[in-house]
Amino acid sequence: MTSDGVPSIIAAQLNYLLSHFPLSVKIEHLWSGSKFSTGVIDRFTIVIPYCLDFIKWDFIYNSESPISAPDVIFGAEDENFLSFLARNDGVEGNANSAKNCLSDWNGKDPTRLMVLLQQLRDQYMNYQRKRVDEVDDDRLKFEVSTIAFREGIEMHLSSGAEKPEEVKFAVPLTEMNIDKMVHGCPWRHSPKIYLQVIYPVGRKYVSASSAPRLKLLSTSDLKSIFSIEDFKLPPWLDGMCMAEYLPHLEESLEKQILEAVSLIDVRRRFIESLAPLFGRPLEADPIFCRKATFLAGSGAFTFLVHFSISTQFPKQQPGLMLQSSQHMNSHGVPAKSPLITEYPWSPRWETSVMAEKIL
Amino acid sequence: MDDLPIEKIAISGPTLASLIQRFYTSPGPIDGLLYGHVSLLTPSTLSDDTSSSSSSLPSTSTSTSLPPISSSSQTLIATITSFLSLSAGHVNPLLLPPPPPSSSLLGWFSARRRSPLRPSLREFSFSHSLSSLPSLSFPILSSRSSLSPCIFLLLSSPIHDQTIHTHEYRAYQFRSSLLSFDPKSIEVINIGPAFRSHYGAFSPNSPFPSLPCDHSSSMAVDEKKEEEERLRAEQTQLDDCAEGFQVKRLSKLMGNEAANYSAGLEDLYGKMLVKIETLARQVEQSSALVFEQENHNRKLKYKAARFTGSE
Repeated sequence: MTSDGVPSIIAAQLNYLLSHFPLSVKIEHLWSGSKFSTGVIDRFTIVIPYCLDFIKWDFIYNSESPISAPDVIFGAEDENFLSFLARNDGVEGNANSAKNCLSDWNGKDPTRLMVLLQQLRDQYMNYQRKRVDEVDDDRLKFEVSTIAFREGIEMHLSSGAEKPEEVKFAVPLTEMNIDKMVHGCPWRHSPKIYLQVIYPVGRKYVSASSAPRLKLLSTSDLKSIFSIEDFKLPPWLDGMCMAEYLPHLEESLEKQILEAVSLIDVRRRFIESLAPLFGRPLEADPIFCRKATFLAGSGAFTFLVHFSISTQFPKQQPGLMLQSSQHMNSHGVPAKSPLITEYPWSPRWETSVMAEKIL
Repeated sequence: MDDLPIEKIAISGPTLASLIQRFYTSPGPIDGLLYGHVSLLTPSTLSDDTSSSSSSLPSTSTSTSLPPISSSSQTLIATITSFLSLSAGHVNPLLLPPPPPSSSLLGWFSARRRSPLRPSLREFSFSHSLSSLPSLSFPILSSRSSLSPCIFLLLSSPIHDQTIHTHEYRAYQFRSSLLSFDPKSIEVINIGPAFRSHYGAFSPNSPFPSLPCDHSSSMAVDEKKEEEERLRAEQTQLDDCAEGFQVKRLSKLMGNEAANYSAGLEDLYGKMLVKIETLARQVEQSSALVFEQENHNRKLKYKAARFTGSE
């Protein structure tokens, strides 16, 4: 990313952070605090994913001495995080604390910023956990006690002046390594699926057993094989708790993912059966089999046919688009047809029949 | 060490102005120590007698003896009278210079350009360690309680460029019992009737040296000798400033001959002003040289940084 003006020592730390941090952090805003040359960048805001949301922390270096440790300014709504850090550093005296990391700062080590951020984020997780623990709500206390052991679970207590307090949970689901199940998968990490659960706090008059707000979310990679929006959440029965709900949800989710993975082969067979009719595809997506382009002709007119195959295939028929290779519109762009979906189709046909009918 | 809440923080206009000036002219962020005193605020009922003559009602002045230590009604006010600035990150709470005479270390300040006006991780940790050192606690004036150096002054400027340059500052008290910063209001003190209540809490930080006066004392001979020596040393210091103008002559300022002598006194003041002016000019010239040298150093530093960067 190295934008111009970042002193090389700081740029090395930033680049290492961006390429090695397990979560995808973003640098939102870079600016200079220098009196003399405003081109020397020594401050920036790091946007860190947390609990399916983001936290923004400002990192302040000193352009006069880029080798020195940076300073961190946390969000305005997290003013008690500093006290939490001070208490915990004192009690545990642990060698991995952020304080130790800052006091033996080595500016020449490009890993330092990432290590610091990791330690602070871990502490932030503990801090939010403690805040949630302190909420006086019996149902919430029960939920926390039964699911807190789940690995990777994150919690957040949001409180604003105008907004009512609520507790958010981000629960990672399934331990399936989806990337391992897809042959030749290009993903750096296995896609993650989370259930977001939001409980309103302190509204005693609301029926204690009503369902919390639920939403299923996933990392964007998953889109190529499985659309999370198409998944229907199982109903939350009266008096249910998360520990009861989750196994059921995970089971049906895993079943659908397995099915989605098996559908890749169905799509592959469909593309293969197009080949005898159209000839060898010009281009095809070999991993997820979502796209294929063939050459077709009608008399003297030759054109390209783009197939886009949804994850719902064969329930949903593929979309076709015809594109000329000779005829241009007034902007010099090859003429294209609108998406064609009206042609004979039945999901129960054999792939070869499907292909024939399209032709 | 008590963790008493401070009502407000007062700073004299010139001290704040020179603090901001120091920050504005420094090439990088600065840290520094704040000195002054903390006193119990006594609400004053006295006011200027603006009406010409008639109303001569005796105002009831409350005589204050040593107040009770832990009364819930006591209002503490911290007055910052001076500061010492250092470049950021160079203040070690275990190796602090002694405070100037008749003032105590109240806390510290941090000034960093173009950053949010909220205490940072480093500032929190430093305030925490400063207020947890029992050796640094100081007494509250006219009270038997004491306080740790808990004042924190944060100075910054807006992140985004603006046509008008703004200096922002905010004051906090670090509460060691709560482990948190408590925002406090700052009162900028100037001279004038609006600041009357502060006159009661005034304590000079450069006391006038005691002058020799003959008094038949019953002191032991040894003590008397020491005392005389000390006074002689102070007298020579004072004579240096007075340039031969003797205190005895001051008495002539009264009475009929006053007119003749006031000219002499004015002459003395004139000489003092010339001296101060030369001194100020010297300071100006030397700081111009320092500034030039700093600029040169900075250019070399950037050059070096670019060179190592391109390697």
